[in-house]
Amino acid sequence: MSLMNIELILLTVLPVLIAVFMCFSTNFNRHSRNFIAVMGVGIELALVISLFVLNFEAVKNSNFFLQYTLGYTDTPFVINLAMDNLSLFFSLIVTSAIFLIVIFSTQYITAKENIYFALFFLVLASIQGSILTADLFTLYLFIEAITIFTTPLISFEKTEETTRAAMQYLFYGITGGVFFFISMILIYFNLGTLKMAAVAESFALISTPMQLTIIIFFLLALIIKLGIFPIHFWLPRAHSACPAPISALLSGVLLKVYLYIFMRLFWTMIAFDFLVELHLSDFVLDLALVSSLIGHVFALQADDLKKMLAYSSIGHIGMILAVLLLNTEAAFYGGLLHITAHLMMKSGLFLSSGYLLQTTLSHNINDLRGIGHTNRLVFAAFIIICLGTIGMPPLIGFVSKWYVLLAFLKARHFFGAFVAAAGSIIALIYYLRYISHAYETVKEDGKSIKEELLSLKGFFSSTNKMKSVIYIFTILIIIFGLGFKILEMPINTAIFELLNPEKYIELVLGG
Amino acid sequence: MLTNLIFIILFMLGFYALIMKTNLIKNVIGLNLMEAAIFFWVISFSDIGGEVSIHKFGETMGKFNDPVPQALTLTGIVIGASTAALLLTLIIELNKFSGTIDRDQIEELND
Amino acid sequence: MNKLVKKTLITAVLAAAAFALYYNFSLLPGYQDLEKGISDYIITYGLHDTGSLNLITAVLYDYRAFDSLGESTVIFGAVSGIVLILSRKMLPVSSKGLSFIVKRTLGIMTPFIALFGFYVITHGHLSPGGGFQGGVILAAISIIFSIVYGSAFDYRRYSPQTKTVLETGGALTFLVIGLAGIVMEGAFLKNLGFLTAERGTLISAGSIPYINIGVGFKVGAGLAIIFYSMIQKTFEEDF
Repeated sequence: MSLMNIELILLTVLPVLIAVFMCFSTNFNRHSRNFIAVMGVGIELALVISLFVLNFEAVKNSNFFLQYTLGYTDTPFVINLAMDNLSLFFSLIVTSAIFLIVIFSTQYITAKENIYFALFFLVLASIQGSILTADLFTLYLFIEAITIFTTPLISFEKTEETTRAAMQYLFYGITGGVFFFISMILIYFNLGTLKMAAVAESFALISTPMQLTIIIFFLLALIIKLGIFPIHFWLPRAHSACPAPISALLSGVLLKVYLYIFMRLFWTMIAFDFLVELHLSDFVLDLALVSSLIGHVFALQADDLKKMLAYSSIGHIGMILAVLLLNTEAAFYGGLLHITAHLMMKSGLFLSSGYLLQTTLSHNINDLRGIGHTNRLVFAAFIIICLGTIGMPPLIGFVSKWYVLLAFLKARHFFGAFVAAAGSIIALIYYLRYISHAYETVKEDGKSIKEELLSLKGFFSSTNKMKSVIYIFTILIIIFGLGFKILEMPINTAIFELLNPEKYIELVLGG
Repeated sequence: MLTNLIFIILFMLGFYALIMKTNLIKNVIGLNLMEAAIFFWVISFSDIGGEVSIHKFGETMGKFNDPVPQALTLTGIVIGASTAALLLTLIIELNKFSGTIDRDQIEELND
Repeated sequence: MNKLVKKTLITAVLAAAAFALYYNFSLLPGYQDLEKGISDYIITYGLHDTGSLNLITAVLYDYRAFDSLGESTVIFGAVSGIVLILSRKMLPVSSKGLSFIVKRTLGIMTPFIALFGFYVITHGHLSPGGGFQGGVILAAISIIFSIVYGSAFDYRRYSPQTKTVLETGGALTFLVIGLAGIVMEGAFLKNLGFLTAERGTLISAGSIPYINIGVGFKVGAGLAIIFYSMIQKTFEEDF
């Protein structure tokens, strides 16, 4: 069924238009620019939700497939945009999180906003493009575009540390892109096509050493981009040097987009059996578990609040990758649930820490004394989200970690179960360390009064919006924790897509 | 065969420069060398001895080379150029802060 | 670890990888043996579908026009990012420029360079060239102005605001043509058929020349902005 669903192309082109427009908005006053930004993301979110709601029956029966062909329909090189249940799921959670992050950053960023928003919307366009595309070269283009667009945002505040972090991020990112390009060209020279569905059909025709080379280069590219040990050195620096909304974007949203690309490449395009035959799935699984352990352990010695959160990200992403590689239905359920949970929790953590760190001298742990007393409600939200990340019931972090643990135990992978449990215990220690520092009573009166005055005077109107975004994340975490069955239907249909790639292949090629 | 050999040698040289040299500009050169090696290999491998893939007006043509890898290479070159520009900009900024373009010296100054 | 030990270790690993890759690549099928007929469709029907004699331009701006749109957006974003990183509130100070002989010679050559750049852009569908290539040639003109005549001359001739307007204009042209494709032909970036005249002339191949012009201006202005932002830092020294 070759439906020409125009919403798919609008999802990608609309943010580009807004970004081009934002570049010219130097002379607008702040309110109109913020209004346009929020409107833009709002329209995007409305589009995605409307796609979900209008096709609700089709989604429930795993019958959902939208497609858009750019150009002549029957030629072999035309570009397709395709959306199935997995893409719809990721598009929903990613766009919702970005909507909240944009609202936060309208109040948080106070200088050079026009280029900030232009780059932010270009990143949104690239994210939507990489989720929706069904063509390998377009995917490469959007992945490189994401790396190039996020680099100037990392060095937004001009200090030496941020510039160094941005440079290291770009070096590692482009090297990963180069490996991806090699793999893509190898696929083209072997099979003569660049459509992911056509590659999936004929991947078995390639000789085994060539299959090994292609898969290894793809794995290298994704390992670099996801921050798995041993190529994780750029992640703590890059994620801690950028302003808070960008940290939430990079650590919360972008890592999940790379996980989606991993799933698309290794379950739909290259069937997972190839990985198992070449013994690569076990190797990458162990590597991801080791990386998760290292991430959690290194967070113990981090003295910087945002670096600690970044190391915690490494830990969680390693665990999610490991559980996905188990390739059972329970594993997918736990993995996708934990992706949703980690998205909300990490974005909430970075945004609330950004809010709290506005009034301290530096990000160092010794300078955090007393902020628990000055911003009581926001810090309480911070504690709730921390508890979610550790895995305390009834928050969603507990539910997702429970399913991940179950999946490891069912597959008799005891090292994985050990890492999942140990991760939670170590997380408890390093989060508690920061929370206890923040609740120490401050000795000098002057510092705390000054902090209160600062927080009252300048940001009076803007604090409400920032605070409300943080509260929304907290409430979502609690609600989804108590009622995680709501997510069961979208996740189960997404799992169906992962386990049955033939439907995707047939619909893209036959449409 | 010769094409593959040259590609692999250039690629490994570029990769070695990227990870082992400490001068930041040499790292950028290494990255560009890796990308140039790939582009060279793509174009050279898809050359089957035919003509340039442009029709001449009013004549019938013989064998054409494959135009798709050439288009992919064009896109890759553009991305490589934007990346190099961004990297060099960041190196300029970093030089202003720390006065050096050596990777190890910048690490020592900070940690 | 000792520096020498580390070097030999990495060299050994890279050499092993090189051998493995070489063995692998010799297993690649030769280009003629592929039975799927890689680009036979484009070679046979490219002229008929798009009307452009240059098949590479047909692939780049018609069959895979979405990739070219993404690519020009990448340049746009990279330029914005560079302006963000290097932004200073500095007044431009002029540099001296080069000697009289160079100034005179380039004064004669520059119009021809500009003409050649425009030729490459507009004849993208008839001969080798296109938007990206011609745009780089046009950017070279701004760079020549900066180096040979001094940066104040370049600032007076094409101020950064003009360049930004040109760049954004190019971006919007591409997007508008794409959206017009939705309205008129039913698919984004589809070749607008009503603009075609006989093939082989300048106004042919549908929307490809206009996309080329848009991309050419965008790339040229973008690279000129990058160069100008970079040399702002070294204003006090003369070349």
